[in-house]
Amino acid sequence: MIRQAFFASIALLALGVSLALAQEGPITVYNAQHETLAQEWATGFTEETGIPVIIRQGSDLEVANQILQEGANSPADVFLTENSPGMVLVDNAGLFEPLPRDILDAVPAQFRPENGNWTGIAARSTVFAYNKDSLGEADLPKTMAELADPAWQGRWAASPSGADFQAIVAAYLVLEGEAATLEWLQGMAANAVIVRGNRAALAAANNGEVDGALIYHYYWFGDQAGTGESSANTSLHYFGAHDPGAFVSISGGGVLASSQHKEEAEAFLRFITTKGQDVLRDGSSYEYAIGVDHESNAALPPLNDLGAPQIDPTRLDTVKAAELMTEAGLL
Amino acid sequence: MTVTTDLQSIRAIPKPRARWEGPSFILCAAVVTGLLSLLPLAFVLYVALTSGWQAIADLVLRPKVGTLLLNTSALLAIVLPVSAVLALAFAWLIERTDIPFARFWSWIMVAPLAVPAFVHSYAWSAFAPRFHGLGAAVLVSILAYLPFIYLPIAAQLRRLDPALEETAQSMGKSPPIVFLRVVLPQLRLAIMGGALLIGLHLLAEYGLFVLTRFDTFATVIVDQFQSVGNGPSTNLLGGVLVLLCLILFGLETRLRGRERYARVGAGAARSRRRSTLGRWTWPALTLCGSFALLSLAVPAWTLLRWLASGGAEIWRFDFILPALGQTALLTLSGAALTTMAALPIAWLTVRAPSRLQKLLEAAHSYVGALPGIIIALALVTVTVNVYLPLYQTVAILLFAYVLMFLPRALVGLRTSIAQAPVELERAATSLGRPLSAIWHTTIRLAAPGALASAALVGLGITTELTATLMLAPNGTRTLAMRFWAHTSELDLAMAAPYALLMVLLSVPLVVLLHGGADRMGQA
Amino acid sequence: MLQLVGVSKSYGDQQAVSDIGIVAPAGRRTVIVGPSGSGKTTLLRLISGFERPDDGSITLDGQPLDSVPPHQRNIAYVAQEGALFPHMSVADNIGFAMPRRATDCLARIDDLLARVGLPTSMKSRRPHELSGGQQQRVALARALAQQPALMLLDEPFSALDAGLRKNMRDMVETVLREAGIASILVTHDQSEALAFADHLVVMQAGRVADAGPPQRLYDRPNTAATARFLGPAIILDGDIRDGLAHTVLGAIRVDATGSRRASILLRPEQLTVSPVQVGTSQIAEATVLSRLYQGASWRLKIACPGLDQPIDIVTSAHHVATADTVHLRVDGEGHVLPEKT
Repeated sequence: MIRQAFFASIALLALGVSLALAQEGPITVYNAQHETLAQEWATGFTEETGIPVIIRQGSDLEVANQILQEGANSPADVFLTENSPGMVLVDNAGLFEPLPRDILDAVPAQFRPENGNWTGIAARSTVFAYNKDSLGEADLPKTMAELADPAWQGRWAASPSGADFQAIVAAYLVLEGEAATLEWLQGMAANAVIVRGNRAALAAANNGEVDGALIYHYYWFGDQAGTGESSANTSLHYFGAHDPGAFVSISGGGVLASSQHKEEAEAFLRFITTKGQDVLRDGSSYEYAIGVDHESNAALPPLNDLGAPQIDPTRLDTVKAAELMTEAGLL
Repeated sequence: MTVTTDLQSIRAIPKPRARWEGPSFILCAAVVTGLLSLLPLAFVLYVALTSGWQAIADLVLRPKVGTLLLNTSALLAIVLPVSAVLALAFAWLIERTDIPFARFWSWIMVAPLAVPAFVHSYAWSAFAPRFHGLGAAVLVSILAYLPFIYLPIAAQLRRLDPALEETAQSMGKSPPIVFLRVVLPQLRLAIMGGALLIGLHLLAEYGLFVLTRFDTFATVIVDQFQSVGNGPSTNLLGGVLVLLCLILFGLETRLRGRERYARVGAGAARSRRRSTLGRWTWPALTLCGSFALLSLAVPAWTLLRWLASGGAEIWRFDFILPALGQTALLTLSGAALTTMAALPIAWLTVRAPSRLQKLLEAAHSYVGALPGIIIALALVTVTVNVYLPLYQTVAILLFAYVLMFLPRALVGLRTSIAQAPVELERAATSLGRPLSAIWHTTIRLAAPGALASAALVGLGITTELTATLMLAPNGTRTLAMRFWAHTSELDLAMAAPYALLMVLLSVPLVVLLHGGADRMGQA
Repeated sequence: MLQLVGVSKSYGDQQAVSDIGIVAPAGRRTVIVGPSGSGKTTLLRLISGFERPDDGSITLDGQPLDSVPPHQRNIAYVAQEGALFPHMSVADNIGFAMPRRATDCLARIDDLLARVGLPTSMKSRRPHELSGGQQQRVALARALAQQPALMLLDEPFSALDAGLRKNMRDMVETVLREAGIASILVTHDQSEALAFADHLVVMQAGRVADAGPPQRLYDRPNTAATARFLGPAIILDGDIRDGLAHTVLGAIRVDATGSRRASILLRPEQLTVSPVQVGTSQIAEATVLSRLYQGASWRLKIACPGLDQPIDIVTSAHHVATADTVHLRVDGEGHVLPEKT
């Protein structure tokens, strides 16, 4: 009796676990964007279409690697990232379904790859957040390359373990080539205070531990809009002038070729690149909206004024970037 | 883990003459579990064999690995001796002197276990945001792990035959000399065992060192894994980490020597005289009090501060409840599975000891000493290369938990099965159906002990972070993962409810271990 | 010489020992015997300095020990199971006890081992590799190594089996006699106490019930309780007149004069039984209740009219059967207990 009850309860538990962790729904989104943002998109989409959305959360490369491992059997219908390299990884494996013209056209050409296998859904700019007490405007670095100079030793923070920073390195690689990138990374390994997480880097600049932090802009705006706890003493410096430090990283979205619900998946992407862009304007994400005729949050400087270097996102090679970072001892 | 109950007497129970059908089935089950627990070792061999010299030269013989080795050595070289000395001082004060409130202090010394290591460092990074690096890593490690070495030392101090010390004193040796030459050598095994346990934790811990901004092999392996997956750069670092574990083992075995101090006088039950502290009472109280402040008050204060400042907003039950539910499901099924997996070998160890059983038992036990990160890496590699559909599934996560916590389950099960009278089982077996006989007699009688060890396993799973981060199907959000996500974003207020829940769920661990130490003391 | 005068010690409400007076002269073996809980161990702990007396004084060779800590008393202590240090070899155990690292240290270890009857090849063994008896021998050698003014032995033979016990007792006796140091041995076993002691102290309920040479205590104890504790005792009420006590067993010669009523102690071995009456020395008749064959002798349980308890007697008389009537004779004289039971 007891034995049966015992095994039955084990079976029930196992069932419960699988149900709780693997709910079936019409479309499954492998999401590496911020969870709150994706959730807002999903809610809006479901309200409009009645199609439920299941979100599985992860980080860019983690999820991208998983899609590669799962290959044709992937349960994912849609893949959303914070940066392009994760998309490139999946695209290079030929796992994306080419997107219909109307979805691609919703976003200007500079914010999506030429091959049309995926599209941009939002953008974020590299910035140097600096402590206003430690640095005057004149002391600011003119280029990102300067940060590798011995003069900057121990004075700036970054989070090289994250996909965000690895995208910046991939951009540097595209713009400056392998040798210069490795040299810069070695300079960084000598100079930078290594933290984990952009907000930790921002906080280090804010509390004066370092003079500045190389991060994405929206962490600063988000913190300012909140308590300002990690950013009150800081200001943002945009490198501009097509410097690698002005790199604008494109968050991507794509439909998996293995998807059983391609129509619904495309509808979701269509929603994100059109109506969904308003979430970026009104919400607390502070990422740039990139949809045609869609405005970003009013607090942000216009995206087109940032002087970002032109980079085809498909050329962002995160594998090579990680290799160089490993060689430089950052990973 | 910390339980060092001497099982010699239990193993001595003669094995039953008759060959039944039961044991052969049980033996098969134990062999299967034993083989499965060899997977991580196979993984390390696989990594060593498949990576060419070039890869090893590029990925292992590089400055970063040197830095990591330095970091790890510095950490071990500072934390282990300091912990040993502190634990010794505390154990002596609490067990052997007339320090006021000794019972209260003995609880305080074990209480830090209720706070998961990464919650300790969360508290410290909130309490002193600019305190990081080696100093912070050392301090937080000591605060979080001291109970692991305090418990065996205190238990051994209680068990030592007072006659030894009195005899030595009567030989004209002053109390300090008696402590150094008679007491201390007999604490060596306890000190070594505790230090090894802390050392293994230092090698395996991820969260603590991320938050104190101190790079160790575990942190870098997770970074690599999240950047490039289970590539050679990740796996080779894993290989180095296993090597370090082995070195630690070897060192402990060497230092411990072949000595046997296990013999305990029969007259140990006699209560002993406590030393009078006199004017040292206040310094002693200050020492104990400082430890309580640093290890308990800091986390408590941080948690309360963030809970208060966060207000009702941070109690996002739409996130907390699913996390709690998932954690509960994983914990319950993981604990049940682990206990079941440990049953065959536990039964064999007690009822049918043999050379094969000893080998199997060793296979079951070693795997718990490996960092969770290695087990996770091994399972990723195996699923990806051998059977992909298992990759990042609940099944493989649960399997990782089984491997990690098998030894915990084994210890409690062995003792409780040994306490169930074998005669009952034999009588029931003579009625036929040996498996059912074993189930209805021994296993039922062992149930309370099995429950306790399942609880120990469950508590481990509740606060497990590293392997869960690497193996959980994406979409999984346990309490530890949620806490970690918020903490990484420096959203300390949002992380506070999860930390509080994990602390509350870990309180039984403290009670179990404190009680276990008490029982060892009475033995 | 160790001297205790009026020593008392209590734990809370529990009076452990009270008003103890003991003298342990140099070169003599003093044995403290008493049932468990009679305060023997407390007494040892007071002497070795692990407890402080509430009252009274303890002096060693005329020097008061009150404020001398245990490690400065030069009193060796041999614990129940030897208490060898498990982490040291036999040689190290003995060497540890030597006052200073003498140059002849190694030679002395050999000598001590020889004195306690152990081969020198044992030197490098660990305690757990020794038998119980060997451990005790090492413990004794270790205690001797410290050249103490007094040696305390706490139930040193209780963990050994019977055969070994006698050997060890003889060895310890010889070694102590040769060393010429005062010793105090504590035991609850009266036959051990009687065999070992020069001077016997019987403790009961925290007090010294009686003290003196063992034979005196056995034959002529002060109390019935001591009498019973030291061996089987037949205690009879009787009227003493003219050196004879008139009891239910008849008239018995006693060691007292005058006329009064008193309790008289007989030891069973003073009684002889025979199946037939011979002469007039036999004083009483008894009935055999049961008998037990023991090889060289028989053990009889006999009932005497007027006694509530049957008596156990060892006899060589073969022709006695159960339910027979036998005749009793008393050898020697009965002992008149000073107080009435």
